[in-house]
Amino acid sequence: MTDGGEPVIRVADLRRYYGDVKAVDGVTFEVARGEVFGMLGPNGAGKTTTIEVLEGLRTADSGKVEVFGLDVARHQASVKERIGVQLQSVSLYPRLTVTELLDLFGSFFSRRVPTRELIDAVDLGERAKAWSMNLSGGQQQRLSIALALVNDPELVFLDEPTTGLDPQARRSLWELIKGLQARGKTVMLTTHYMEEAAELCNRVAIMDHGHILEMGAVNDLIGRRFKERAVFFDSSPLLPIADLARLGGVTRTAQEHGQTVLYSQDVAGTIGALLATADDLNVEPGNLGIRQATLEDVFLDLTGRALRD
Amino acid sequence: MRTLLGLTLANVKSLVRDRAALFWTIFFPIMFVFLFGWIFGGNGGDTRIVVGYVDQDGSPASAGLHQAFSGVELLTLHEGTLDDEKAAMQRGDVSAVIVIPKGLGDALAQARSGGAAPVAIEVYGDPSRNQTTQVVEGVVGQIVNGVNLQAVGGSAVVTVTVLSLQSTSISSVAYLVPSILAMALMQLGVFAAIPLVQQREKGILKRLGATPLARWKLVGSNVLLRLMVALVDMVLILGIGYVFFGVRIQGNLIAVVGIVLLGAGSFLAIGFALASFLKTEEQATGVVQVVQMPMMFLSGIFFSFNFLPGFLQTIARFLPLTYLGDAMRQVMVNGTQVAPLGVDIAILAGWLVVCLGIAARTFRWE
Repeated sequence: MTDGGEPVIRVADLRRYYGDVKAVDGVTFEVARGEVFGMLGPNGAGKTTTIEVLEGLRTADSGKVEVFGLDVARHQASVKERIGVQLQSVSLYPRLTVTELLDLFGSFFSRRVPTRELIDAVDLGERAKAWSMNLSGGQQQRLSIALALVNDPELVFLDEPTTGLDPQARRSLWELIKGLQARGKTVMLTTHYMEEAAELCNRVAIMDHGHILEMGAVNDLIGRRFKERAVFFDSSPLLPIADLARLGGVTRTAQEHGQTVLYSQDVAGTIGALLATADDLNVEPGNLGIRQATLEDVFLDLTGRALRD
Repeated sequence: MRTLLGLTLANVKSLVRDRAALFWTIFFPIMFVFLFGWIFGGNGGDTRIVVGYVDQDGSPASAGLHQAFSGVELLTLHEGTLDDEKAAMQRGDVSAVIVIPKGLGDALAQARSGGAAPVAIEVYGDPSRNQTTQVVEGVVGQIVNGVNLQAVGGSAVVTVTVLSLQSTSISSVAYLVPSILAMALMQLGVFAAIPLVQQREKGILKRLGATPLARWKLVGSNVLLRLMVALVDMVLILGIGYVFFGVRIQGNLIAVVGIVLLGAGSFLAIGFALASFLKTEEQATGVVQVVQMPMMFLSGIFFSFNFLPGFLQTIARFLPLTYLGDAMRQVMVNGTQVAPLGVDIAILAGWLVVCLGIAARTFRWE
């Protein structure tokens, strides 16, 4: 936790089954005030179910679910007054304008931010009078975030806010979300983009099959698992992987996407030995590079499969 | 209240900006009024009025009257017994019936020798076709005045009594105007299923569920919108019926508004119940048509219930639109009855309660 205050979200042993499908199967976590907390996992991992229980849209089968110290199921109205919600892929009244939608949603809350301010905050000034059905994907997503902010919420839920957006639109949305944190808001988001979680979140929980597999700050998660870094280059038959495994510092090897990967605790030593071996054989390792392990590697290591499949 | 009105306004804007929805809820029924009005209106062309003529007296005096009526350019006489002529009028073959009562000749004879009880010539007219009735009444009045003058120097031995008898003619625009209004209300209610399913499919209902907005307000705003459209439809259809085809409301306007709101409410409940079972917008569009099209043609809206063959009457008795059309005609033009007004109202209220119950139990917000 980043401070000693009461956590904004407290979930303990949450379970939600749909028939035989254990969508969420005993999930426990807390989110502190001012934190950006990410839930990371493939489709069907249980992220959306978890977030929708917190939003009061679904009920839990069992477990404790508290927001602002209030039981969500029993204090729906007062919790909903204070949270902002962005749902996965929702379109709005197609024939209302941006301004009309913000005015309408504002009217549902006792506390509200002026519409003009919201439009400026998400940079939709030029489309203020456009029907929502005529907005681009990125603009609709920005509108949907503006709608989540109409009541100046203390806690904002964003369910896959950048799914389906082009890289530029994603970048601009990231800036928007960072701005929320700068204004002291607590943010809980789900994503299946590793780089998004790494870029935005103070802490992430990695979910799969209804369970949280690992939770913590991004760098801790990587460091905890991978002390070594990866040296990679285009695979060549002249450089058989079995031979390379014996090079200095190499802890293990892998072969992926046509590249040979050497995980090493001594990168300088490993590269020196690799280049010497290559020189002896008179070959040059193509596209040689070094990288830190990523969240992607963490996920692969935890589940044995890639995140986007 | 502010949120309820805000949501209602949002629904109004969504409807007005959606040309297809606007067509079905407003322009389609208006088109029907004009279409059927022109086909069956019969305002132009033949100006002669066919009247049933019943001579129950058979005296020399009544023979004289017959001659007088035959001489009137405006009228074509259709002679027969009272029962025949009344049936002919109900069928729409004649526009009014003139009855010369038994004892007319005797009364006139007695009047000459002083002191006789007056006798009345009866005129059956259709109250929803006032212009025609007034013309016939005027003609009868003039002839009776002449007879009174001739016989007894002007004292009223023969009088005229006007009775009303509803004609159920298919050619009566007065029959069609309330029917088309009933049809419009049916469509308005049943078609409400489409935007509801659409809003659920798009996740709009779910998104609203994540705000403190109470669900009854969400439902209420939809009901308010449809009731407002129902009143707009009423004003437009009755207005066009009056201005273009001279159809006047005979009944109490409050009763008319009451039936309009009840009818809209019942069919709205049916729309909500349908929306509970439908998943996609395409499905909704199809099913709504399957529900509304046969109902439109089987409920005695365009063809009088009494003229439907037996098995179709049986089907019609199960359709709520039959009773809305019937109630509407009873309060607007004193139309013929499928059932007494109270029964119509009870059946519509029953549909309202049952369908609302179904919707309340099974409607899903996502």
